[in-house]
Amino acid sequence: MSYASRAENLGRSFRAAAPTLLGVAGVCLLAAPLRLAEGALPTPVLPLVVVYFWSIYSPSNLPSIGVFLIGLMQDLLTGGPLGLWPTIYLMASYLVTTQRSYFHGREQRVVWLGFAVIAGLAALILWSVMSLMSGAALPIGRLAVQMTATVLLYPVIAGAFAEFHRRVIVEA
Amino acid sequence: MDVLGRDRRDGLNRRAGAGVGRLTLTLVSAILLLSNLYAAEASVFRKAREGALSFAAPVLEAFAGPVGVIQDVVGRVEEYFFVLEQNKSLREQVEALRHWEHDARDLRELISAYEALGYYFPPPGVTPVNAMVIGESGDAFVHSMIVNAGREAGVAPGQAVVDDRGLVGRVVDASGGAARILLLTDVQSNVPVYVEGSEVEGILAGRTTERPAIIFTRNDDLQSVEAGQRVVTSGAGGSLPRGLPVGAVADVGESEAAVDLDANYARTRLVRIINYEFPDVEDDAAAPAPEDGDAPQEDVSAADLNAGAGPGAEAGARLAAAGDDAAPQTGTRR
Repeated sequence: MSYASRAENLGRSFRAAAPTLLGVAGVCLLAAPLRLAEGALPTPVLPLVVVYFWSIYSPSNLPSIGVFLIGLMQDLLTGGPLGLWPTIYLMASYLVTTQRSYFHGREQRVVWLGFAVIAGLAALILWSVMSLMSGAALPIGRLAVQMTATVLLYPVIAGAFAEFHRRVIVEA
Repeated sequence: MDVLGRDRRDGLNRRAGAGVGRLTLTLVSAILLLSNLYAAEASVFRKAREGALSFAAPVLEAFAGPVGVIQDVVGRVEEYFFVLEQNKSLREQVEALRHWEHDARDLRELISAYEALGYYFPPPGVTPVNAMVIGESGDAFVHSMIVNAGREAGVAPGQAVVDDRGLVGRVVDASGGAARILLLTDVQSNVPVYVEGSEVEGILAGRTTERPAIIFTRNDDLQSVEAGQRVVTSGAGGSLPRGLPVGAVADVGESEAAVDLDANYARTRLVRIINYEFPDVEDDAAAPAPEDGDAPQEDVSAADLNAGAGPGAEAGARLAAAGDDAAPQTGTRR
């Protein structure tokens, strides 16, 4: 095997793994003691943006197994019930992939709205499962703040991801 | 157009393959999620959690360093604006603490007098492990922290974790070099506590909000509880030592009482994990009683355990002395 093809292979595997790695980095950020504004502002759910963004624009760069791994890592690190975040991320990725053709070529505002809907659905699943498991309706305040922060930050993060996708994944 | 068409064909093929994969993985996750209901403590899950902990600990530690530095700088800048007010309140605190110091010295005198008489039996010793918080779950419902001390340092699940203010939580998972602490606010956290002043016991249960609530076993217990009373660990069940400060009763509801925690989770960076060894009751009973007779001994030990002034001071002294009291360490059983 020549060096060139080997380099090409390496490049291809990097392209396939880059969004997954970015998602795992997002999980690490969620698990780091950031304590934005003295703990008043929860860390945004960056992996959800990763899953949404690449499910719309380039699902081949974020295989299902990657989505699963990101979610599993999040469950293992936060100590929550295993399988919760993989379910949420895979469902989000499924929903978005089926609506891909609708989102393509639309204004960014529409895509943003789509993300808000997905974040709302994710919050709903999270809340119902955790409430069922703890046997009582849990307060939604903190979850609402966290998801709102994630949705509000979406344009900034998606802008950065678009730049990353264009420069690193497509041109690498 | 040509490129677009090719893309769509590729997409179709891929979608068919990816669809099956995604469905399988979604099913796997759903089954995992359901299995949590029955086997959350299964050894496979525990091993997976511990593996992830030891895998992520170095990464998190690398993250935590810079985060801490930034927080320090931001905190310092903020504090410049409040220096005068802080000085004033600190002076008032020192004033108040002088009285407490006086009281503590008196009590220490009294205790040493009892010790000299052979009436005093110090509580079992503890071996503290100091650790730094390197991770915190950024989840809305799961409240936990990750610290950089694990089994190698003697940390094991069930141990109590305190910071400079009070109880933080308990260890739930421990890998070689890291451990996870379940905070008191987590919905799965249940800690037996004791309300000073009204002298009732209850279970402090997390509510995912800032204030956990005390659930009482008897309904009339709730009526004797008042806002402002101090809450400490009761030691029931034997996994936590008695008398660790937890917080104060904030307000009393219809069926439970909300508690303001002493610990401030937004500022917790250094913690102390308490390796407490529950005294072995059988061995104590078998030990020869002092010659002076049984009655005074029982009185003193009962008073020592139940007296309102005792527990907090005891825990503090125990932490400070860090095991230099010659404790009757009879039981190694946990």
